[in-house]
Amino acid sequence: MAKITLSTDWLDVCSGCHMSLLDMDELLIEILEHVQLLSSPITDLKHPPESGVDVGILTGAVSNDHQEEVARRMRDRCGILISMGDCAVFGGICTMRNFFDTEEVLSYAYTETDSTAPEQEVPRSPEIAKLYPTVKSVRDIVKVDYHLPGCPPPAHVIAYVLTELVAGREPKLTEDLLTYD
Amino acid sequence: MPNVRVTINGVEAAVPANMTVLEAAQAAGIEIPTLCDHPAIEPIGACRICLVEIEKQRTLQPACTFPVFEGMVAHTHSEKAVEARRFILDLLFSERNHFCMFCQMSESCTLQDLAYEYELDHWKFHRPMPKFSVDASREYFVMDHNRCILCRRCIRICDELVGNGTLGLKNRGADSMVTADMDVPFGESSCISCGSCLQVCPTGALADRASAYMGATAEIDRIKTRCMACPVGCGTELIVRENRVIRVEGDWDAEPNHGLLCEIGRFVPLHEHRDRVREPMVRSNGEWNAVEMDEALAMVNEKLREAGDDVATIVSGFVTVEEGTLLAQSPGAKYLMHPIASEQSSATQADLDVADLFVVVNTDLTDDFQVAGMFIKRGVRQRGARLLLISDAAEGDAPEGDAADGMSEWAMRRLGTAEANEAVAIAGGAQMPVFVAGPEGAKLATELAGQVANAKALIFTPGGNSRGLYEAGFQQAFEGQDAAVYHVVAGEISRIAPELLEQLKQAGTVIVTTSYRQPWDEVADLILPMPTTFEKAGTTVNADGMVCEVVAGVETRAIPFNEMFNSLAALAQ
Repeated sequence: MAKITLSTDWLDVCSGCHMSLLDMDELLIEILEHVQLLSSPITDLKHPPESGVDVGILTGAVSNDHQEEVARRMRDRCGILISMGDCAVFGGICTMRNFFDTEEVLSYAYTETDSTAPEQEVPRSPEIAKLYPTVKSVRDIVKVDYHLPGCPPPAHVIAYVLTELVAGREPKLTEDLLTYD
Repeated sequence: MPNVRVTINGVEAAVPANMTVLEAAQAAGIEIPTLCDHPAIEPIGACRICLVEIEKQRTLQPACTFPVFEGMVAHTHSEKAVEARRFILDLLFSERNHFCMFCQMSESCTLQDLAYEYELDHWKFHRPMPKFSVDASREYFVMDHNRCILCRRCIRICDELVGNGTLGLKNRGADSMVTADMDVPFGESSCISCGSCLQVCPTGALADRASAYMGATAEIDRIKTRCMACPVGCGTELIVRENRVIRVEGDWDAEPNHGLLCEIGRFVPLHEHRDRVREPMVRSNGEWNAVEMDEALAMVNEKLREAGDDVATIVSGFVTVEEGTLLAQSPGAKYLMHPIASEQSSATQADLDVADLFVVVNTDLTDDFQVAGMFIKRGVRQRGARLLLISDAAEGDAPEGDAADGMSEWAMRRLGTAEANEAVAIAGGAQMPVFVAGPEGAKLATELAGQVANAKALIFTPGGNSRGLYEAGFQQAFEGQDAAVYHVVAGEISRIAPELLEQLKQAGTVIVTTSYRQPWDEVADLILPMPTTFEKAGTTVNADGMVCEVVAGVETRAIPFNEMFNSLAALAQ
């Protein structure tokens, strides 16, 4: 049986979801017998190949134009898209800033906190991605096939979803597999 | 009430015709999810999560408000009903900030429980992300409007059970917000911080400052016990995690309070800032030093031996019947720390929920015996009962700050003691008048009640277990009697008459057995530790004469009172 190909990427995120992926421990070895990981933020290859992958996983919310581009690229290049973790599924903890004005948030973060250096200014380089007024979930930007909430989703839930997909079944999160935090 | 025959999920049952579909289903052992509904308050059908399919009805109907009818056939979990519930949950989640990952009520939230039950793995609708305020103006709990689902449980309990009517709703539609009085911050409103709204909030909109993030439903134990702060004697539930009380809630099943508590019972013990007494302490040369228990008891024994019978034992209402019975064996005079009314009650607190006229005499029920005050307030608001306030100061133009002020908004009239006869005339026309008073008004209240047929009097003696201690032998109030040695058994009492402290300051030897150092370290020579109500087991007797069980919620390192007392008694042998 040919392996299914997998790419993962992260958006506005703490990286905890990828930590949870690694938390599968020895299960990871078992899963990698059926899954070929082609790219991820924690491998040398960062971007999904243009030739496409069977399954794409996105973690994190969409907070700026760069992240939207990453999300769209993943969608274009994968067959099945899984949005993984509360930030990807709901917007998550990143949405805390949705309750404030974007300029207010920037100026607080860069000039007002106790840890900011004196004379520090809000960086305005055109090379930096532009913040959107509100943080969005992946689903707000592209079509998502499976939602896998959790902050982070427990390793065994990620393993369950990948195992089901390898077996050609539809993963369905019920009872203990479903968690919001 | 005649019965009607109904069929719910294929189960046939005969139920009273005045039942709702929800009640009928519950009686048949069928669970229908609810969110805005709460057993203690009237249903209003606000959230629609309980929608069920009823044959011959055009649309789905809310089970919590829809009455049963003869031949009704209902399906509580049909595909249509379940789909509707998912849709409603989706709408609820889309409206405001319902992100569990930064909510202190996660894992203790009815809304979240429902989302799990109905397997919501994402939200379908666009979220407008409105920016509502967070009102942190109250000392004990915070209102985050962003987490509110507008179920109105808080508004209804404040109105229906507490009778305070502080809360209401402002604006319309998605902009609706729970508001206090005429839209003032909660901390500046008529809110009495009883926390009843906090106890019924099904989301993280109302969050307790002391217990936020301290323990989710699966991590806590609930221990039913009694509040000993006043003679109302409310049933409480201690919420305990890792041998710590993190929160106190009212016990829905307990007489007389049925879930209600006041600020003093619910919050004050969790916001105690006084120093805990963990070991005996002796004052020498104006300095307090910790000593071993054996040494302390030997010193106490020595003092008591020297004094002989010239000893006064003064107990607070926080002392249980068992502790009081032990103390009653000690030599010398026995006093209650609180004033005692010599009159007896002819009414119980349950009578307050059926009375049509209340006459409150020289007592502020918004300050003392607050939960009994709530029974009266709700009688006025909900049943149209009338309230008369009689106070010494109310004659002519009533000055501010007298005993009648607290409840004056609920009162039809305020009378001075000289005009008290008018109350008798009004009570004469009532079906069931109840005269209510603490010690200061007890004599007049009893006299007035005696002049009215049907009238009853409800007399409160301050101190949670005063009635039990009276029966144990503490039948006199302490009014500055002289003794060579005073033994004050205080428990955790914090409201102490300044006169008592003044008298003790002048006294010879003062031994205080107390849970907290202050204010006793100003007057005592020797302090012995004492468990708090949270830590001890025993019984207490409330104003109705009801014997209530006090159950220890947590274990303490402090030596149990009876052990300490028995060691002392052994020394005296």
